[in-house]
Amino acid sequence: MRLTLLCGALLLGISLLAFQGRFGRFRYEVDNDDAPFPPDGNEKTEFVFARLRYPSVRFAWGFRGNWATDYWKADRQFVQGVRRLTRIHTRSVEQVVDLDSDEIYNWPWIYAVEVGHWDLTDAQCRRLREYLLRGGFLMVDDFHGTWEWENFMASLSRVFPDRPVVDLDSKDPIFHVLYDLDERFQVPGIQYWYSGRLYEKDGVEPRWRAVYDDQGRVMVAICHNMDLGDAWEWADHPRYPEPYASLAYRIGINYIIYAMTH
Amino acid sequence: MFEFLFKYPPAAYAKGHIVFLAGWPAWSLILVLLAVVLVAVQWRRAPHTRLTGARRWALWLLQTAFLALLLLLIGRPALSVATLKPQQNIVAVLIDDSRSMAEPEGEDTRLGQVRRVLSGGLLEGLRSRFQLRLYSFGHGLRRIQKPDETGAAEQATHIGEALRSLAAEAAGLPVGAVVLLSDGADTGGGIDRDTVAELRARRIPVHAMGFGRERYDRDLELAGVELATRALPGARLTAAARLRHSGYSRGCARLTVRDSGKVLASREIVLTASEQSESLVFAVGPAGPHRLEFALQKLDGEQNPHNNAIVRLVNVEDLKPRILYLEGEPRWEFKFIRRAVEEDHGLQLTTILRTTENKLYRQGISDPKELEQGFPAKPEELFAFRGLVIGSVESGYFTPAQQELIRDFADRRGGGVLFLGGRHALAEGGWSRPPVGELLPVALPERKGTFHRDRARVELTAAGRESLICRLTEPAEANVERWQKLPALADYQEAGQPKPGALVLAQLESPDGRRLPLLVTQNYGHGRVALLATGGSWRWQMLQELSDQTHEMFWQQLLRWLVTGAPGQVSGSTPLPVLEDESRVILRAEVRDKAFRPLRDARVEARIVGPEGQKETVWLEPAAHEPGVYQAEWKAERAGGYSAEILASRGEEQIGRDMVLLRREDGVAENFHALQDRELLQTLAAETGGRYYRPSEASRLAKEITYSEAGISVRETHDLWDMPLVFLLALSLRFAEWLLRRNWGAV
Repeated sequence: MRLTLLCGALLLGISLLAFQGRFGRFRYEVDNDDAPFPPDGNEKTEFVFARLRYPSVRFAWGFRGNWATDYWKADRQFVQGVRRLTRIHTRSVEQVVDLDSDEIYNWPWIYAVEVGHWDLTDAQCRRLREYLLRGGFLMVDDFHGTWEWENFMASLSRVFPDRPVVDLDSKDPIFHVLYDLDERFQVPGIQYWYSGRLYEKDGVEPRWRAVYDDQGRVMVAICHNMDLGDAWEWADHPRYPEPYASLAYRIGINYIIYAMTH
Repeated sequence: MFEFLFKYPPAAYAKGHIVFLAGWPAWSLILVLLAVVLVAVQWRRAPHTRLTGARRWALWLLQTAFLALLLLLIGRPALSVATLKPQQNIVAVLIDDSRSMAEPEGEDTRLGQVRRVLSGGLLEGLRSRFQLRLYSFGHGLRRIQKPDETGAAEQATHIGEALRSLAAEAAGLPVGAVVLLSDGADTGGGIDRDTVAELRARRIPVHAMGFGRERYDRDLELAGVELATRALPGARLTAAARLRHSGYSRGCARLTVRDSGKVLASREIVLTASEQSESLVFAVGPAGPHRLEFALQKLDGEQNPHNNAIVRLVNVEDLKPRILYLEGEPRWEFKFIRRAVEEDHGLQLTTILRTTENKLYRQGISDPKELEQGFPAKPEELFAFRGLVIGSVESGYFTPAQQELIRDFADRRGGGVLFLGGRHALAEGGWSRPPVGELLPVALPERKGTFHRDRARVELTAAGRESLICRLTEPAEANVERWQKLPALADYQEAGQPKPGALVLAQLESPDGRRLPLLVTQNYGHGRVALLATGGSWRWQMLQELSDQTHEMFWQQLLRWLVTGAPGQVSGSTPLPVLEDESRVILRAEVRDKAFRPLRDARVEARIVGPEGQKETVWLEPAAHEPGVYQAEWKAERAGGYSAEILASRGEEQIGRDMVLLRREDGVAENFHALQDRELLQTLAAETGGRYYRPSEASRLAKEITYSEAGISVRETHDLWDMPLVFLLALSLRFAEWLLRRNWGAV
């Protein structure tokens, strides 16, 4: 009897976790409910930091890798920089968006984190493809190593089966629209504090990659083997080195301005 | 009857004036008349027991009238009129020998009718009084000996030129009158004022006799086509076609435009009014000259099937006009406008974007140095562009000199300026003040808070339905529906009131239900200005299917409109690019320096290549009273297409070049001028002191034209006392009095 109850509880737990992953109930979604909402958080602006909510794969007990990593502090801290350093009229609060409705088309710039764990449905792949070809822009960040790359590509190749992922050349306008970013280096996540390593898993070498459209414009900007989101989130922390935070801001701002000009 | 009663024809009275030969001063006649009236009044007061009231007044009136008539006759009235001296004056008879005179009229042709009228007594009557000269005319004037030498073979009717030639030929000769026998269907653009003035100065009356029907019972005519003479490669054009018809009310016609036989567009038209205008939208092809034929399909029973087609020329210029777009802040509209224009190979968009307070991001520049300092400060730098777009940027960002430049860009340079809505645009950016405020097609609101990040739906206005900028699909009705279904704009701005002369092409509906101007255009100086009161049309791209081209098409059309007509430094033209049975060509060029000020000391030549490759160079001379304008007159001797490359230079400096296309089409003009233009003939006759006659009135003509002051004339005085009318009047007055007295028993 005890064994039966234990097995039943185990099955129930697994089912709940699976349900969360597929249909969009996420652990971090409620993490900051008690955080103060900025007074201008509902301001109508030209640009809004739109964070993509996507379903994740399961590979172990617990929950690792999802859309809400660094949410919301990274977003809000980053847009503070965008507001201060550029003329972009920017909302202080992010917008969570998903690929399950046409509402996504109202947000021409989206950010997805830890995409090494995403698992898009076919319908979401179709909508993302349509979104990008119409002129939308996707920035992905904070995924590391071979396994996560392959998992990322498992969905992206369903979005664009016919388009290659290529390494961005330093001469590409995306690195020059505002800041000249010829000299780039690996931006580590918060794990750098205790591990002292810049990289995670086997992602030793930072890769700036992209998917282009037919006119040679970047549609998907891929930041692999780096964690810009953590750099934004912890930029105000004395233990996080300033050069990494600065570069993360500059890359993020360049990507936004590129998306608004190309 | 008139001549029987009044002794002389109406023309004599029209030309002459009444005199009294008795020689009495006018005051004496008045005195006598007063005396007569007094006597009559006295008589009326005398007792007439049997007559009272109205009857006495009636008799008094009759007797007074009779006495007045007698008094008038005592004054010896006479008609003083100038009369041509017999056989000492020349009368020129001009016979229209154009192809339209071969049109059948009953059992004969118009020319046959002319010959019959001449041989039916008119020639004889004229010969008996005058020296006669016969001419035929078409393109020009030709002396003939007999009416039989005409054959209705001329391909044009130039009445004005014929009269001008006659006046020149007969200078110093006593020409008493001109008799013009024609259908009046002039193909030379009418009779110029100078010719009429010369005839009036020499007092030569033109007596016109009109031949031919004045309308068809059943006919459809393409009366005209208005079309831009220049276009950019791949541009869409609107042709405004003017149709005339009779006898096909509520019928259907098909209008087609072809380029070298290939159908570009076609549409069915319901015939309503006897004259109506219809538009036809089509895409013109690649760079190069295009001969476009607009034709109406022939209808059953048309009496003149030859007036259904018209040829027009379009020069698709091999150039990529540059447009400068200054944007004050990164925004989605900027990105999507750039993407829309990138797909248009006929436009080149250069942009300056203020990314931060201190940084500009330039795209589409010709070299790394271009626009390095931002918005141009010199006219030659700004005027290298043909279009200018001002985005969400404050007016204060520009220096006063730069603001003057923006105005001059439209006013003097002839470029197009587009103002967009935005957070720092229009009223928010303080753009209502001069000099740029004068340029805007609206009076901006004098307040802030006009920009709203709320969605707004759009709709076309009546003017927008006709505009090529707003044509997203065909036909026009589907286009209206297409606009209604467009996704809402991401934002909108209150633009204020449209100025007089501005056209509102589209309007938006704000969330509170107000209809506000969205797209407004107007001409300003040599250029044009548009205002689009939003920065949120990008939703038309993101919220519609990938295959939908609405957003791209709208922006390409708007920006093409902006630069259409913006000239280069050298701008050539000719008033009539298609010469219908004409050869005279006027070439004209406007030459300006880099700041687009008129250049007075340029050397301007036209290198003309004819239909068979023959080459000729014509020098254009400065036009009087028009600084920077040069022109020349030249003759296109053969039918076919011509190209004239106009080059301007000053010293060693090449200023620029332009291309003008011409085409001479022969055997066309008379197809469109086949009806009698009575109005033209009547006007010509009236303005020169002549008269319009119908062929049935020909017998009067020879006698009536005698009364003329032209040539060698003598003033004659003809007594009028013995007019039959006088005796009839006198007898009638006396008889009426007797009859009344008899009826009233007062005899």
